[in-house]
Amino acid sequence: MLTKTQTVDGAAIKKAIEGRDGKMLSSFYADDALVRVIDRNNPPSKPREIRGRAAITTFWDDICSRAMTHKVDTTIANGDSLAFTQACAYPDGTKVFAAAMLELKNGQIARQTVVQAWDE
Amino acid sequence: MVGDQKSSGRADNLVRPIETRYALSGEVRIAYQVVGQGSFDLVFVPGFISNLDLHWEDEGYTRLLRRLSAFSRLILFDKRGTGLSDRVDVHHLPSLETRMDDVRAVMDAVGSGRAALLGASEGAPLAMLFAATYPERTRALALYGGYAHFHKWVMPPERLNAFIVTAETAWGTGATLPNFAPGRVDDAHFTQWWARFERLSASPTAAAALARMNAEIDIRGVLAAISAPTLLIHRRNDARVDPDASRFLARKIPNARLVEIPGRDHPIWTGDVDRVADLIEEFLTGERAVAGAERVLAALLVTRIYDTARLGDRMWSERSEHFHDTWPTLVARHGGRCADMHGEMMISRFDGPGRALRCAAALRDAAQQIGVASAQGAHVGEIESRGAPAGLTGRVTIQLAAHAGRGEILASRLVADLAVGSGLHFVDRGRVDIDELEEPLALVLAMSEQHLEPACRPKTRATEPACLTTRESEVVSLIADGKSNAAIAAELRLSEHTVKRHVANILLKLDLPSRAAAAAFSIRHAGPDGP
Repeated sequence: MLTKTQTVDGAAIKKAIEGRDGKMLSSFYADDALVRVIDRNNPPSKPREIRGRAAITTFWDDICSRAMTHKVDTTIANGDSLAFTQACAYPDGTKVFAAAMLELKNGQIARQTVVQAWDE
Repeated sequence: MVGDQKSSGRADNLVRPIETRYALSGEVRIAYQVVGQGSFDLVFVPGFISNLDLHWEDEGYTRLLRRLSAFSRLILFDKRGTGLSDRVDVHHLPSLETRMDDVRAVMDAVGSGRAALLGASEGAPLAMLFAATYPERTRALALYGGYAHFHKWVMPPERLNAFIVTAETAWGTGATLPNFAPGRVDDAHFTQWWARFERLSASPTAAAALARMNAEIDIRGVLAAISAPTLLIHRRNDARVDPDASRFLARKIPNARLVEIPGRDHPIWTGDVDRVADLIEEFLTGERAVAGAERVLAALLVTRIYDTARLGDRMWSERSEHFHDTWPTLVARHGGRCADMHGEMMISRFDGPGRALRCAAALRDAAQQIGVASAQGAHVGEIESRGAPAGLTGRVTIQLAAHAGRGEILASRLVADLAVGSGLHFVDRGRVDIDELEEPLALVLAMSEQHLEPACRPKTRATEPACLTTRESEVVSLIADGKSNAAIAAELRLSEHTVKRHVANILLKLDLPSRAAAAAFSIRHAGPDGP
């Protein structure tokens, strides 16, 4: 809604994530998008589900409020599918690595599955 | 047996040690821990005193922290002068503002730009001050058992002086426990933990100084400046902080909602911890907490020693100890498990009501032989399959035992209905109002003269070694060797998870309460090739 002109592609996602631009990131999603997160606390049979742009905006706002570094590396695009990996680090050294798979619809993210692992 | 279960429960929860780090706030180092992988940050601001390491040694505290860190990145810290943080000059303790700045320093160290704050007890005014000072860094505010003015809602000056005298003269003995959690004073395990909690959280002088400093808390003036969405939780009969304190906060904080819940113990990690965690989770994530634990139907029996005033302390103590020692044997003999002890209340669980009642009759006889009288309650309902039965079924059964008279076995009508055909007999005992139940509960009295005690021991337990698979037999003999799950996993080249499953199946098949019992079983049944 805010910045619809931005095309959703690997480069745009990389720029928004690495720049911790939550507003930009949430603008990439369709109104009824679904983000699923799989990690230690949210196993594959019961992933955490974030539904709708409002909840996804809060999700990205929370993550982008953290003073951490993000590096988006491998980006692969194939038609309406997009995949990338993301390496993150907190100031105290804790690292997080995530792999994300995206389905696009009408140029917006309709569905995203993130698998992440944390240093612990 | 109770000890076994508690320690194994703790081991399950504590998969790894939590790393403690230190953030620099001015010239003072503040100890902190980070747990969880949630997408937002939650800072837990503790009350009066705290100790990051010790929290993980208490079942309730661990449960609270596990629950919170399942949906957030949970940031824990000890205020300066307490726990693992730097000690400070006790004659010049830091102001609330300085301690608030410690929260900011910890958030900076962990890269938290914006966090939800959970302030418990004395942590609540600190969290409120933070929210009013740093609105841009406060995502939301959850306040448990909080207050804005100490003398008005915690204790007036004269009671404070008595509290400080107790703190100064008996610090480290757990003497302050009745001020915080009167419901736990009979729990020997918890009382010991509390005494350590005192010793390891602050020195006696610091504790007294902290109490004096907290008594000066009055932040009524900043409440209107809090803009973050705020959830207030207060237990209706809170022993330490008057619930009116939260009612006042609900009126003065612009965007606040108050939920009052049953209970009187004040520390956030005591009482119904899950209820508190559910409310916080729903408030912060917008989603209802999903019960993760598996629930099973079970018959609970609560046994207490009835009216012992005439015995005198010493004789009572000896006899009650004797009875407590007898309890596990009789429970095991009837195929049950000792589930928990609540002060004088012994709680055991059984697969069916018939066994529970037969055990109750045996316990009553044993008590008589020892020279004490018993009073017991039995009820059937869903409980969590792991850990102590802490839910509604447990609380109802405890209340039944409290209502039971000398030598009586008081059961809910449901127990009698389910025991039809068992040969047990019951007489109607009307209805009784039970806290938390909307309707009065129909009661029966189990009658002993109708052969409550079976002629021979029930032969229902499948305790023959043959019922174990080859793999389970291997595992049970390694348990008897004193090996841990990890060691067994390595030896049998299995994953630790698989070994855990085997152990659970073994205990289920043999109807045994603990690893120790499985080891004893293995030794009893050891043939030339083991069990």
